[in-house]
Amino acid sequence: MENAIELRELTKTYGSRRGLAGLTLDVRVGEVFGYLGPNGAGKSTTIRLLLDLIRPTVGRATVLGLDPRADGVELRCRLGYLAGDFVVDGRQRVRDCLRFLADLRGGVPQQRIDDLTDRLGLDQNAHIKKLSKGNRQKIGLVQAFMHTPELLILDEPTSGLDPLVQQTFLDLVTEAAANGQTVFMSSHIMDEVEAVADRVGILRDGRLVALDSVAQLRAGAVREIEITFAEPVRAEEFARLPGVRTLVLDPAGTTLRGQLTGEPDALVKAAARHHVTALRASEPTLDGLFHAYYADAEAAPRSTAAV
Amino acid sequence: MRATVFTKTLRDNRRSLIGWTAGTTLAAAMYASFYPQMATGGAESVQNFPEAMREAFHLDDLTSAAGYLQSSVFGLILPLLALFYGAATGARATAGDEESGTLDLLLAHPVTRTRLILQRFGALTAGACGIAAAVWIAMLGIRESADLTSISPLEFLAQCLNLALLAVAFGALAMGIGAATGRRALVFAATAGIGILTYAAHTFAGRLGAEWAAYFSPFHYYIGGEPLKHGIQWGDAGVLAAASAALVVAGTYRFNHRDLNA
Ligand SMILES: Nc1ncnc2c1ncn2[C@@H]1O[C@H](COP(=O)(O)OP(=O)(O)OP(=O)(O)O)[C@@H](O)[C@H]1O
Ligand SMILES: [Mg+2]
Repeated sequence: MENAIELRELTKTYGSRRGLAGLTLDVRVGEVFGYLGPNGAGKSTTIRLLLDLIRPTVGRATVLGLDPRADGVELRCRLGYLAGDFVVDGRQRVRDCLRFLADLRGGVPQQRIDDLTDRLGLDQNAHIKKLSKGNRQKIGLVQAFMHTPELLILDEPTSGLDPLVQQTFLDLVTEAAANGQTVFMSSHIMDEVEAVADRVGILRDGRLVALDSVAQLRAGAVREIEITFAEPVRAEEFARLPGVRTLVLDPAGTTLRGQLTGEPDALVKAAARHHVTALRASEPTLDGLFHAYYADAEAAPRSTAAV
Repeated sequence: MRATVFTKTLRDNRRSLIGWTAGTTLAAAMYASFYPQMATGGAESVQNFPEAMREAFHLDDLTSAAGYLQSSVFGLILPLLALFYGAATGARATAGDEESGTLDLLLAHPVTRTRLILQRFGALTAGACGIAAAVWIAMLGIRESADLTSISPLEFLAQCLNLALLAVAFGALAMGIGAATGRRALVFAATAGIGILTYAAHTFAGRLGAEWAAYFSPFHYYIGGEPLKHGIQWGDAGVLAAASAALVVAGTYRFNHRDLNA
């Protein structure tokens, strides 16, 4: 088995509403895959299809080499899932809830549960209905990770978590990956995806619009750049260089500001012909890149007549 | 098949189950213990009721213990309580969880939808049996003091068995609708509505010259055979059990073939 998840022409329509439109995607065993896209893009739809909570209109999903419908029990033994809107019955203590969920899996060592709750700062004696949203989300994380599943499917796992706990979560993901587990996580937070994901897929209107490794994406990402010269320079010298997006020379003609994608080699060599007094370049971020994909995504998708 | 969901369901519902049991048993014991007063004075006042009403509620036989219990405690109060226990518990079984979103979490575990329904149905049935058993014990407890000795313990048991089966049947109806639709309010309203209608069918079918209608009513199989006089009615019990099974199977089939609501 090479791919943990294989989606082929996966399509889901809700009546006349589009959920997912012919998605084909492979997630490799052992990788951390970041699944991004604006609201309503179809991320949760994809994930619920993988869990057999909903059924595809057309197409096929194979998860860990199994059919989510026919081999559901075996498959769900081997994966951990955190729902996008994780809810759990509030009329119980955290400990009893986790024990019950562990029992459904035929048992999980108490030590493992204790470790996770300690790291996330979750009180097992608390009544769930008295917990804050973020602390409830921690229960979701614990139950997804506790049996060390081969595949983790996490729908916006950090929603509601404070920055410290978000970092703990990222550590858990990194450890899972080091342990050979596959992680498929949807997110809206570029930083966290960038920090842990090997590859990223961007979904929009039910279609995959980008799929690449984080390294590749970063290479194409935008840096803010600022070069200061001792003497005034001419803007034309720099305007047509490869990778240059926008460059503006200040009125004095000595400070060049702008944006750059890819390698800064050509720009650096061109600048080197002059006396450079200061050079500042930001880390490339995926933020700008994602914004381009997110921009003018339909806030609420219209109905599609054609299916 | 491990019974994790079954035991968890019973544990989660223990409070409401204790409430149902205590309430039902108390009501049963209280009304049953009125029998001695009824046997002496009450029967005469009933003579003034319109004949249609006397017939519908079997009020003509109030002086015998079985007649009294069949028209009041076991004829009206307990079956309606059983109806509402079944409707409420059945509505909660899957539709409640689906609506609140907690079903996603359960079904992301190695539990099939069929197993979930069957274990929840098992818990509902166990609860119904518990309630009926408590009523039976209460009847045995007041049997002497309330002059009910003309009914044997076995005949009480027969009626309590049918009481449990009636609760199970309405529970199965509610679970079936809930599994098929996932909408809790609809489940409760539909089950209660069907319950009231079939109760009316059972009670008034004869008056309206539509005896056949009674055969569609679970209440007919619950009490039509007069278990308090004739003991266990295997045929009637079998009809209730078979109808329950059919409802659960149909609901489970639909549940297995549809999307869970988000
Ligand atoms: N049960 C449903 N009935 C009708 N339409 C639905 C249903 N579930 C999802 N949709 C529609 O499918 C589309 C995709 O929704 P989905 O929840 O997968 O988006 P998402 O990418 O997870 O968004 P978000 O980032 O807001 O969580 C949306 O247009 C949504 O309105
Ligand atoms: Mg979502």
